[in-house]
Amino acid sequence: MADSRGSHLSVVLDLSPSQWHLSAENPPTNPFPLSLSSFLSQLLTFLNAHIASKHENSLAVFGAFPRKSILLYASSNTPTSDDTMDANWFPPFRQVDFTVVRRITEELDSLEGASEDEAPTALVGALTKALCYVNRIMQPPAQAIAKPSDKVDLSTLPEPHILILSVSPDLATSYIPIMNAIFSAQKLKVMIDVCQIYGEDSVFLQQAAHLTGGSYILLERRDALLQYLIMCFLSPQSIRQTLSVPTQDRIDFRAACFCHKNIVDIGFICSVCLSIFCQPVPVCSTCRTKFPMKTLQRLNASRPASANVSNRPSPSPAQSRPAVTSTNGDTPRSHGLSELPSTSSINAHTRTASNGTKSS
Amino acid sequence: MSSSRAARPTSVPDTKPNSYKPHPLIPFLQARSQTVLTRLYQKPSACLSIFRLLAPLERQLVMNLLWLEAPINLSTMGSWVVPECKKEYTEAVANLGRLHIVPNSPVKLGLNSTFKTSFRQALTGGGTSGSFGIPAEPDEKRPSISIETLDSYALERWETILHYMVSSGSATKPSSGALFLLQRSGLMASYHGSQSQITSTGFQFLLHSPHDQLWDLLLQYLDMSDDRQMDLVDSLHFFFMLSTMELGKEYSTENLTTTQKTLLEDLRDYGLVWQRRPSSKRFSPTRLATTLTSSSPPLPTTTGVTSGPQEGFVVLETNYRLYAYTDNPLQTAVLNLFVSLKYRFPNLVVGSVTRDSVRKALLNGITADQIISYLTTHAHPQMRKNNPLIPVTVQDQIRLWELEKNRLKSRDGFLYNGFQAQGDYELVLTYAKQLDVVLWENAKKKAFFASLEGHQNIKGFIERRGQGGK
Repeated sequence: MADSRGSHLSVVLDLSPSQWHLSAENPPTNPFPLSLSSFLSQLLTFLNAHIASKHENSLAVFGAFPRKSILLYASSNTPTSDDTMDANWFPPFRQVDFTVVRRITEELDSLEGASEDEAPTALVGALTKALCYVNRIMQPPAQAIAKPSDKVDLSTLPEPHILILSVSPDLATSYIPIMNAIFSAQKLKVMIDVCQIYGEDSVFLQQAAHLTGGSYILLERRDALLQYLIMCFLSPQSIRQTLSVPTQDRIDFRAACFCHKNIVDIGFICSVCLSIFCQPVPVCSTCRTKFPMKTLQRLNASRPASANVSNRPSPSPAQSRPAVTSTNGDTPRSHGLSELPSTSSINAHTRTASNGTKSS
Repeated sequence: MSSSRAARPTSVPDTKPNSYKPHPLIPFLQARSQTVLTRLYQKPSACLSIFRLLAPLERQLVMNLLWLEAPINLSTMGSWVVPECKKEYTEAVANLGRLHIVPNSPVKLGLNSTFKTSFRQALTGGGTSGSFGIPAEPDEKRPSISIETLDSYALERWETILHYMVSSGSATKPSSGALFLLQRSGLMASYHGSQSQITSTGFQFLLHSPHDQLWDLLLQYLDMSDDRQMDLVDSLHFFFMLSTMELGKEYSTENLTTTQKTLLEDLRDYGLVWQRRPSSKRFSPTRLATTLTSSSPPLPTTTGVTSGPQEGFVVLETNYRLYAYTDNPLQTAVLNLFVSLKYRFPNLVVGSVTRDSVRKALLNGITADQIISYLTTHAHPQMRKNNPLIPVTVQDQIRLWELEKNRLKSRDGFLYNGFQAQGDYELVLTYAKQLDVVLWENAKKKAFFASLEGHQNIKGFIERRGQGGK
């Protein structure tokens, strides 16, 4: 029966104090202010809705704070609360709400005396923890491992998905860890949904949602957060086959270079180890391959004057470039290196695409 | 032959959404009137429980509509639906309409306002309805009961009922209320004031999963509520309240209506609720009660084995031999329905599936499919390696035995023979054939068999001819 397995939801919360402060600012600079407290109350209702849907549904909430990420709540290891019960409240809801709010308040209070310039939030750390958690619950129970010959009955394992609620802009240094997280999510068959609640489009999180089959939304009407959450992110994969959710029609596929952590429109790729650079380099910093001087000069000559390095946070799809030029490889045997068109396998994650998936 | 074997469907479950079977309570609720349902939706816990029993797509639709202030156009929601799945979507909306959760309307889609208010309250908490159960004040003298004790209590109560059914009245009797319910639901019947006997529906009932069994009985109970002057809505509220309670906690009986207090006593008999003393002012729900609204509950009864693996205990070999690793009298008794048991050891029962044992089961009204599905669900983990799970020979043979039973049909009637002359025989036979009552004929033996309905006419015809001939 299609319904016999529960679904698991891991929520990753970006709790950067400064960004939330900006988000709560009043109009006119901010047409739809959303304070952390009203965000939390809507989020808790969403979490309750997830638990309400099925007895077997499980939930984990991770918080990304400046410099650290912690597990705020997990339905598998909640201590039995000794607080008094309430006749008007479904016990599991109460537990989630209290635990999450208490942990967040504790963490934010401990940040109080921190220095003025805030460290970026550990969003990737939280995402990685969420993936580890999913990996753990997707492992078959202990007895089955003892007898590896037994086939695991996949139908009893929960259907996992991860939701990232982000407010911070992209952090170019986290490009590689995010990419790694995406690859492991693909391997685990975990869908990553992203909701960028405040600020500009996030390049990396867009890719995360796209590559794992999830949904990415840049929230415009922040006052309708709950409705967005429920309609787009509540349903597990099996329901999305019937009741579709919005997907992106344009995805910013730009990558960050390994050398300066800039987001680049045109990159140069080492043909040996696929490292990305924002400018032609004589030696690959990752695998130490030496490139011939001739190609280097030719590539330098062919570079457009200004458009090679870009720090623009917001991509304009009109300027999308077809491809990444490959820094020629230089294994002694290869001669016709110079005109190597970037092969599809290489530039899969570096192309700026304008023809992304189109939802029905 | 080998190719057809290969094409046999494997045990991979069908994951298509349309394979979803609605919960037994849903049709029951759909048959209620709108006023009853609206009263039902006044309690947040009832809304939450009913919501959980809905199909996945219906749940998502309810959620989508829940926080909207005004109804939206049908086409707005329709545009979210994948075109190929339009049918499932329309069905889901119609289903919700029959439950009066989404009022039927040709243009707008919105939630019933009572349902909306209560369900919102359930999700956000608050209100004063107390529908999730009033917790009892902690008692210093008596610590609250452990979950293990609750489980074993529920198990013992539930198995007493089932065991009583299997043993056809010779085992320990459950309470009179439970007995009455068994009779009333047609699972057991007593003929001419004798010991009550299990019926064929009863046999089928035994092979269901515990969760289905529980709901079968509860629905019967609800059906009965009118006769007993119990308020249906009050009873349902109580069931839903139980299903949202926390296992291992104590709740107070204050604020319960009279109906609900009667209900409490009955449910105590079935093992859904535990009380220290019948007059106690507090009660604890057992796992049977708290998992009422989950679809595949980890009921303690599913694995009432004290030894052996938890998930399954039956090993069936191609030579029709069956080994059951169990010491549970109930499971042994259920197996005894269609297996001829040979030996019994402290933790093992050995028997074989024979023509006679299966025929006995078939005569009791159990079908071959039920036997096979019981064997499949209770198969030992060791068996799970096989594909198909149950040996094909045994499966086919059980089905053949069932067909064999259908081969013979019995009809009441009369045999006419001993005709003096071939002419007499043919004359009567032609007459009988005109009446269309002949079931069998043999010209050589000058005999035919006609059904009961034709007898008076044929008898009259023969007599008239006899007189005429004189």
